[in-house]
Amino acid sequence: MAGRGMTGVYGPGLSRRSLLKGMAAGAGAMAAGPLFSGSAFAAREKELNILCWEGYNSAQVLDPFRAKTGATVKAESLTNDPTMINRLRAGEINTWDLINVNNPWARKVMLPEKLIKPLPKEQFEPFFAKMLPSFKWPYKWAMSDDGSELIGMVQRFGPYSFVVNTDKISRKTAEDTGWNLFNDPALAGKYGILESDDWNVFGIFIVAGIDPFKVHTPEEMATFDETAKRVFKGAKLIGDIASMNQALISGEIDLHLTGGTYSVSPARADGHPNLRAITPLKGPLTGGKGGISWIEVTSTVNNPQLSPLALDFLKYVQAPEVAHTVAFAEGTFNPVAQMGNPDCFKLFTKEELDAIQWDSLEEEMARSVEYDIVPDYDKALDIMNAAKRLRG
Amino acid sequence: MADLAHTETQPRALAHAPEGMDGVRHARRLSVGARCALPVAVLLGLGFLAPLVAILAYSFATPRSFDVFRSFTLANFATLFDPSNTVWVSFVWSCGFALFTVALLAVIAYPIAYGLNMVFGRYAGFVSVLFVFPLFVSENVRLYGWVLFFIKNGVLDGTLKWLGLPGGPEVLYTPGITLFGMLYTYLPFMLFPMTLGLALVPRDLVDAARDLGAGRLFIWREIELPLAMPGILIGMLLTFVLAIGATAEAKILGGQSVIVISHDIEIAFTYSQNWPLGSALAVVVTAFIGVLILYVLSRLDLDRMLGRR
Repeated sequence: MAGRGMTGVYGPGLSRRSLLKGMAAGAGAMAAGPLFSGSAFAAREKELNILCWEGYNSAQVLDPFRAKTGATVKAESLTNDPTMINRLRAGEINTWDLINVNNPWARKVMLPEKLIKPLPKEQFEPFFAKMLPSFKWPYKWAMSDDGSELIGMVQRFGPYSFVVNTDKISRKTAEDTGWNLFNDPALAGKYGILESDDWNVFGIFIVAGIDPFKVHTPEEMATFDETAKRVFKGAKLIGDIASMNQALISGEIDLHLTGGTYSVSPARADGHPNLRAITPLKGPLTGGKGGISWIEVTSTVNNPQLSPLALDFLKYVQAPEVAHTVAFAEGTFNPVAQMGNPDCFKLFTKEELDAIQWDSLEEEMARSVEYDIVPDYDKALDIMNAAKRLRG
Repeated sequence: MADLAHTETQPRALAHAPEGMDGVRHARRLSVGARCALPVAVLLGLGFLAPLVAILAYSFATPRSFDVFRSFTLANFATLFDPSNTVWVSFVWSCGFALFTVALLAVIAYPIAYGLNMVFGRYAGFVSVLFVFPLFVSENVRLYGWVLFFIKNGVLDGTLKWLGLPGGPEVLYTPGITLFGMLYTYLPFMLFPMTLGLALVPRDLVDAARDLGAGRLFIWREIELPLAMPGILIGMLLTFVLAIGATAEAKILGGQSVIVISHDIEIAFTYSQNWPLGSALAVVVTAFIGVLILYVLSRLDLDRMLGRR
């Protein structure tokens, strides 16, 4: 990439346009600087670059792979899907080998935009047989829209609606009342909002009694606006996962949206089983469901010089021990599809199963619709950001 | 005589000519050191310019696109200046926080700076280290530390309750605590330029004024303050520029009770995925700060500040 930028600057037929293009490429190369340890044109047998949610970038997961292959493995973690996908759109397709995002992006966005490429089915289909029953082949989110191609491998997943302190609001009350808790004036000032804005768009729509995953009418958008202003005004704080868990433990707040196993599991593992991810019994989502779940899909980037290690890594994380490590990598703890394999499941201790709410996981997943793309997300997000500014 | 003088000067002039041209050529040619440093200088120059050029170019790109250098539109700026856009609220908060931080820090840091120069004597170095030391710890870690201090059942609240008192005040997640966090974070940036400014005040002048019967207030107003002013202004400027771009305090301590302008820029680049709008916002804020700095610097006498006069 750096090489190409230089050609743009010094090559024949220098024009303002080519100069600017060269500078743009150069700027891009500089932004991705740390990743370019050697020549961009060298063979990539010994390097692998992973763009992922946190966990896959941890030393516990990567070090054994590094030791096994002797490769330079670099992973960058981000905590929202659109940013990762836009990194590819902005030209980093030549940088990354693997991208790990939530379920709909691979089949609905990245494959049509040719940002990722299919996996060799014959090599990966057997892994699905050992996954939990809901992930059996052909698993929807791992396949292309027409079902002909395998476009990614699945591993971590979980329900993601909201989290309560069951000492203050019982699990039953929370599940029965559902998202209406956030419409209760008595709870104003007692809840937090996790800074996860794409999920908060879903949450605010559901609090407003509207299915987020459809095109919305102006009236629905007006209701969304009113709800967003009220919910954000009533929030005690907005913050990251650590802030939410800390505020729950200290008693600053009794509940927070959006959240789930992913966000509360570290606090549960830390000795706070009273904090619990809740999936409401009912709600405005398809089939009267009240919860949303996510499933990560890891795909190979449509990199013209894809590292051969990308496929090796996808196979490596399917191994029971590694899958267990991924589930309990640093940061957040999550169930993994590979728990369907008894060899993997037996590695989980009772405490670990309790941290990820294994007791109710199946029913909570059943009560949830799967994360999808909001067609008018941009508009909703703008409304939500404006609502946030009115907090002060 | 005149002819003689002319013929005398002519050869000298001719003799000088090649030497003069050589001198010009020599001056044009860079020294060996400069030539060796050139690649690094170019790299540093590009490293400085490339992000700025990219941001500027993005601010004129089609909204929510990556068509940088391929499209030109003022739509992003139009969006920012649209009366219905509430981004000005964030801007006002940032400016307000920055102004209050500067004003309060000037009052807080002055006595400390005075102490470092005139009072603490041989302990001045140690006191300076105490103020510098926190800078070795990540700002976020320090701010999370304050959260643990102020949080319900945290260090303050828990200790007061343990002592049988009613408990600590509920200060977290408010604009007030955000301001506190900024005062805490930026104190060294005000303190050290101010200390340097006060160090430039000649003691003889103060002594002379005192001998001539000037009172303490008079000496402070007429001698210390004007002579230390360049340092004080640099401290204020530095603090203001840093504070207007501050975001961690409002996020971690303030719980986003208000959204500051740098957070709005961050949102545009992340969740909104509107790099052109984020860039336009960054350009507007940078231009605002740039104009402000140029204005203040134009009023400052750099020579005097550096003690050259």
